[in-house]
Amino acid sequence: MRILGSGQRSALASAASAGKTLFRRTLFRKTLVGGVLLGGAFLATTVPASAQGGSVPDLGTEAQVAEGKVLYDKYCSQCHGDEGDGQGIATPYLNPAPRDFTGGKYKIRSTPTGSLPTDEDIKRSIRIGLPYTAMPGFPIFSEDELTSLVAYLKTFSEDFKDPEAYLDPIPLPDPPPYSPEAAEKGKLVYEQTGCGRCHGNLGRGDGLSAPTLVDDWGDYIRVADLSQTWTFRGGGTRQDIFRTMSSGFNGTPMPGFHGAIPVEDIWAIVDYMTSLAGNVAEAPYGNVVTAVAVEGDLDLAQGADLFVDAPESMFPLVGQIIEPGRNFNPAATSISVRAIHSREEIAFQVTWNDMAAETTGLNGPELAIPLWEEDQPEGASVADEEEEDGGGFWGDEEEAEEDSSEDFWGEEEAADDAGGDDSFWGDDDDTADASAASSTSEFSDAVALQFPKTSPEGIRKPYFLFGDTELPVELWYADLADQRSKLYEARGSVSVVESESKAPEMVASYEEGQWSVIFKRKLRSGSSMTFEEGVFLPVAFSVWNGFNRERGNKRALTPWYNVYLKPREAPSPVAPMVKAGLGVLALELLIIGWVRRKKKSEAARA
Amino acid sequence: MKIGIILLVVAAMALLRWRKVGMLTWIAAWLLGIFVLIRFGFTTPVPMSVVKLYMGILASALIAYIFSDAQRQEQVKSPLKAFLTEKKFAPLLGLVAIAIPTAVAANIYFDMTSPAKPPAFGRTVHPAPPAQINVLETDFDMATLDNPYRHLETDDPAAFQERVANGRVVYYKNCFYCHGDLMAGDGMFIHGLNPIPTNFQDQGTLPILQESFVFWRIAKGAPGLPEEGGPWDSAMPAWENFLTEDEMWDVILFLYDFTGARPRALHDLEH
Repeated sequence: MRILGSGQRSALASAASAGKTLFRRTLFRKTLVGGVLLGGAFLATTVPASAQGGSVPDLGTEAQVAEGKVLYDKYCSQCHGDEGDGQGIATPYLNPAPRDFTGGKYKIRSTPTGSLPTDEDIKRSIRIGLPYTAMPGFPIFSEDELTSLVAYLKTFSEDFKDPEAYLDPIPLPDPPPYSPEAAEKGKLVYEQTGCGRCHGNLGRGDGLSAPTLVDDWGDYIRVADLSQTWTFRGGGTRQDIFRTMSSGFNGTPMPGFHGAIPVEDIWAIVDYMTSLAGNVAEAPYGNVVTAVAVEGDLDLAQGADLFVDAPESMFPLVGQIIEPGRNFNPAATSISVRAIHSREEIAFQVTWNDMAAETTGLNGPELAIPLWEEDQPEGASVADEEEEDGGGFWGDEEEAEEDSSEDFWGEEEAADDAGGDDSFWGDDDDTADASAASSTSEFSDAVALQFPKTSPEGIRKPYFLFGDTELPVELWYADLADQRSKLYEARGSVSVVESESKAPEMVASYEEGQWSVIFKRKLRSGSSMTFEEGVFLPVAFSVWNGFNRERGNKRALTPWYNVYLKPREAPSPVAPMVKAGLGVLALELLIIGWVRRKKKSEAARA
Repeated sequence: MKIGIILLVVAAMALLRWRKVGMLTWIAAWLLGIFVLIRFGFTTPVPMSVVKLYMGILASALIAYIFSDAQRQEQVKSPLKAFLTEKKFAPLLGLVAIAIPTAVAANIYFDMTSPAKPPAFGRTVHPAPPAQINVLETDFDMATLDNPYRHLETDDPAAFQERVANGRVVYYKNCFYCHGDLMAGDGMFIHGLNPIPTNFQDQGTLPILQESFVFWRIAKGAPGLPEEGGPWDSAMPAWENFLTEDEMWDVILFLYDFTGARPRALHDLEH
């Protein structure tokens, strides 16, 4: 092993400090030995970047820095802050929070864990952005402008001035072709490497330590759901995943595995993730739930097996940010739906990934919610917003009406502020507290299907946010705390009341980071909308994540999509085909015959 | 418009003219040429229903053209008659006679077996505003309403910039999740919204609108849309519930300032 230069030592020191953050967390305590090995491999395989080591780092010209500042102030500072410290206008509402550039910690890199990014790495993040975060791509910048921006970004951190703080990028080979065998091997490597401790056994972001993870700035950070590669911050192509696996995400608990495990094993894990996501390049979102006809009764005891023949449709979930309870960082990003219908009934199965089942506490679409609430799932953030409590917004009547529940929730939050949870989200990562917190949540997980109360006539539908005063909606609501379903009738989010009609039947289960909830109801029931074959009917979905303190109108939702009941007996196309074909043929023969006869008679006359 | 496609069609027509082809070929050339122009000649794809409409008009025009002159009629009729009666065409005629009914049957098959499509709703993007709106307990007459701070642009540039800066704060606290960092209607939540948010960089939005219209849309949001705007689908909040009147005017100043667009002036409509 070669003797380390001082710069390399400092780079390693920063790698070590990133490592320290890791090792503080319980999940890595057991892999400490592995971690040391990782460090050893890291020493052996990394050398100072030949291009930059020893010489003066390229910090750009003064003119570039000046141009970069102009661009930065216009396009970047609103989130990353005027000083590059990640404290911008929108920062309080974003998770992941905008990067603080002052520490030189860049998330998406091609360089080893803890080291500085290359210029091209920074340009890539600006050009393409980070999917499913508030960081968009900026295709408007020219190459020169990107260079200037990079030059300006470097002024925020002293690290970039250290000529030896740079490490050579990890080689990024062209991806070998995807193979199911590699994916299978990847599953084993995934388990051996301990990926599941954060990412969960099936990669759904439900590892035991998932609720306890914080980034280097002490903010809660959500574990990536590996079954949804399109949401990956570093990109979802196989080469992107390889880079992320190799280099890790500086500033987060995600380590880099370059040098720690063989390259083939990294590719194997890449293929495993690719297979988890169904080997698709883009999110396979649909816009229709097709309910297929089945024979016999729908027996909920059969669970998911009922739906084997039903096609699955996946819909994106986004935060409700239209009315009070604005939810800027919903926990769930998609919901998958299947549906079947018998002659009498219709059943829906909805599944979504959730890192932990919150089965205690309350929830409900009617719960009051403050006008503003920051998203961090921590008690402290609620404190400042208390003054602006939701009631006033909706006018005096509602306030009076909902007074009692308002007070109730007010008190809850006050109690929260007083202590309880605070210490848990602080610096001491006490996992005992964490598991306690997730098992006794204040708000439970919940899901709701939304239908118009009556079949829409023409184009007019109820407002997609819980209906409106003219056209109400019905919510098939599953309370996952007491495994009970409820039926709500809503005329807008200020008027959500439990219906007196019979609620749909419901069964729910949570397994390997995924909720599965099945609803069943009569095709025709009371005054509710009738499900008719061969008709498109509006349907929308809401998901509440208790851990994320989602309740009431603070939820993840979809706009209206359609549910289509495939007719039991599809009319056969054969008869109309034969009829039309023969008809056209007869017409042709008539014309030909007529023209020929006419010609013959003309010839005879001549 | 795609210049290459247009030139190609014109060149093909010129070639036919030079070769002095028959009337039937001309008819086929017109039908094909116009189809290619409409279907592939435009940068924004033209919907199939519109293409069909134009092809129908063209077909009637061609028929009228042919039947308005006996000589042209003859030019069309005689080759057709030959094809239907002469022995040397018999095998080909047989093939055509079978191919047409087969195509009709296939069309019916695909129509009946392809998955049904959900009903589409053609919403009006910029519906007409009401004559009067009431925002935060103040009545505004839409015919005369204008941005009360627009005049600062010339009267007091420093105060104007302050307002724009405040509008920027309002925008990045509230709007960019949907309308995007660059105001291109591509914020982080748009994959889960339908209709997608307005793209303010589009020349068909800010430059053709008066500030009063933008104010109305911001203050009243989706719930304030008339039916043709599809208020039940739109995710635009009614911002009067969150923002003050000044904040709404400020964010409008910022929208125009950031995109470099100029608002349509009040007097523009009087012509």
